[in-house]
Amino acid sequence: MEDLILTMIVRLILPFIQIYGYYIIIHGHLSPGGGFPGGAIIGASMILFALAFNLKEGSNKISHDTSTLLESGGAFGFAALGFLGVFMGSNYLSNRAAGFPLGIPGNLISSGMIFLISIFIGVKVASTFITLFFNLVEGKTHD
Amino acid sequence: MTALAAHVPALVVVNLLMCSYIMPVLARWKKHLCIPVALGSVSFSFILSIFLTFQVSRQGAFSYALGGWAAPWGIEFVVDHFSVFMLLTLTGVGLLILVYATEDLIHELKQDVVGWYYTLYLLLMGSMVGLALTNDLFNLFVFVEICAIASCAIISIKENRECIEASLKYLILSAVGSGGMLLGIAMIYMVTGNLNFTYVTEALPQAFELYPRNIMVAMSMFTAGIGVKAALFPLHVWLPDAHSSAPSPSSAILSGLVIKIYAAVFIKIFLRMFPWDVYETVPLMTIVLIMSSVGIVVGSMFAIVQEDIKKMLAYSSVAQIGYVFLGIGLLSQNGTLGGILHIFNHALMKSMLFMSAGAIIYSTGVRRISDLKGIGTKMPLVMSVFSIGAFSMVGIPMTNGFISKWYLAIGALDVDKPLYVAVILLSSLLNGVYYLPIVVNAFFGEGKESVTVHHKLPWKMTLPLIILASAIIITGIFPKLMLGLADKAVMFLLN
Repeated sequence: MEDLILTMIVRLILPFIQIYGYYIIIHGHLSPGGGFPGGAIIGASMILFALAFNLKEGSNKISHDTSTLLESGGAFGFAALGFLGVFMGSNYLSNRAAGFPLGIPGNLISSGMIFLISIFIGVKVASTFITLFFNLVEGKTHD
Repeated sequence: MTALAAHVPALVVVNLLMCSYIMPVLARWKKHLCIPVALGSVSFSFILSIFLTFQVSRQGAFSYALGGWAAPWGIEFVVDHFSVFMLLTLTGVGLLILVYATEDLIHELKQDVVGWYYTLYLLLMGSMVGLALTNDLFNLFVFVEICAIASCAIISIKENRECIEASLKYLILSAVGSGGMLLGIAMIYMVTGNLNFTYVTEALPQAFELYPRNIMVAMSMFTAGIGVKAALFPLHVWLPDAHSSAPSPSSAILSGLVIKIYAAVFIKIFLRMFPWDVYETVPLMTIVLIMSSVGIVVGSMFAIVQEDIKKMLAYSSVAQIGYVFLGIGLLSQNGTLGGILHIFNHALMKSMLFMSAGAIIYSTGVRRISDLKGIGTKMPLVMSVFSIGAFSMVGIPMTNGFISKWYLAIGALDVDKPLYVAVILLSSLLNGVYYLPIVVNAFFGEGKESVTVHHKLPWKMTLPLIILASAIIITGIFPKLMLGLADKAVMFLLN
């Protein structure tokens, strides 16, 4: 079922929801929020899109293959980032000692690896939300 | 090499977790790589555990600060004799179960979820290894959650009615348990201001004088929370369904390792973190003793009346985890030694018994105990292995079950509680009542219709059974191998 009011409003607010999600992820180290809430917002925006338009079109936007890659990649990237610390002669998951520039506190590009970790978590959470939703919708079929 | 050697405590956990993350991708595009990567990852962790064991015996306990943040601020992994004892048990037995699983799963699961099974298996292994190593209360909670979710998922992956019902029951009860643990951690943090075990231990004696209620509530929360997860007697209701309906490799890892790691967490919290003189005013250990000894007797009694072989083994686990908690509750050196040793011994026995039951189901499709008559002549290897496990469960000398029961009995006598020796003796008899008829009937009984063997067992399924059976005999005849390590672990806990 497609409803004109619903699709029109979703069309209008979807970009703002997504921008807000990206904003929360990118500002994870500066303000409340971070990878998880931001990823959840982006995931929710995709769910909203699929619900308002139609499920087929929604699931075509992000295929199962892509979301598998993104899910695994997000978690793997976080874990792999920790190894940079080991290669630089410090401990696992270390930040400045691993050679990440800390920048000026308060700037967007600062805090070294925490900035990157938020992005990885955001990717992971957003793709997990989408996968969960489509798995529930599709019922018995598995990817 | 020397530079990397310092990072082994982190590597042993992260290697398992990372391989688990890439497993869905492999399952989608490179299916043939799933098994080699999973096996490689667990064997790598096993080798690292052996390395850590040598390192600990050479230089004593040492710690690893994640992210380079020193102890009270950052998360700390501590490698001591107890944690390497647990690491060796986990990765060694886990590797053998995985080898068995690679063959068994093809027949038990749908093709498209086999790849996901390895994800969950590695996640479970990683979380358990992390639980053995961590020295931080909140980090402990995170690993407990990962472990709980992964173990629910490897039950429900079989997707039939019983599995989903059992795993839902397990999910709800273990979530309650996690909640209890989280509240306990919050209470401890409230009065001590620390999450690191070492610092909490320092702060506890003073905190106990100021806020005894908080600490008592925390202790009861921890006992109930860990008790649910470790299936301590009145809280065991989820275990029989979950462990009997799951795929055989899942049953083996859940019964052999997962409930043991919670016993290890109990030891870490109550024997290492809390000062022992607390137990003079709080009767916690008496409660644990009563719960465990009732569990030992009643668990065996439930096992006697079971008709399904896997359900019988699951009830037997309820009884056997009672031994571990009995050893902890005795608060004596020999008793704790027996309890810790039983973690290792029971991990060998129970995973082997579940795998041999799985092998019987794999080749004949028989699950009922009464149908197993005369199977010993059809499957001599599997039933011999099963018999060794059964003898070890009863505690016949020359098997490792005898060694841990021996130390438990000595520990009970050391603290003048001969009642518990009677409990151990009684339960050994009860164990005999339900294990030995299976063995006798399998070799000497004659069934009405004889069982037919449909599939020949592949070597990947027989090899882990043979290794575990020889390990039971070898550690039964030469107990010094693991006893030395367990003894040092107890010394470390007692200081």
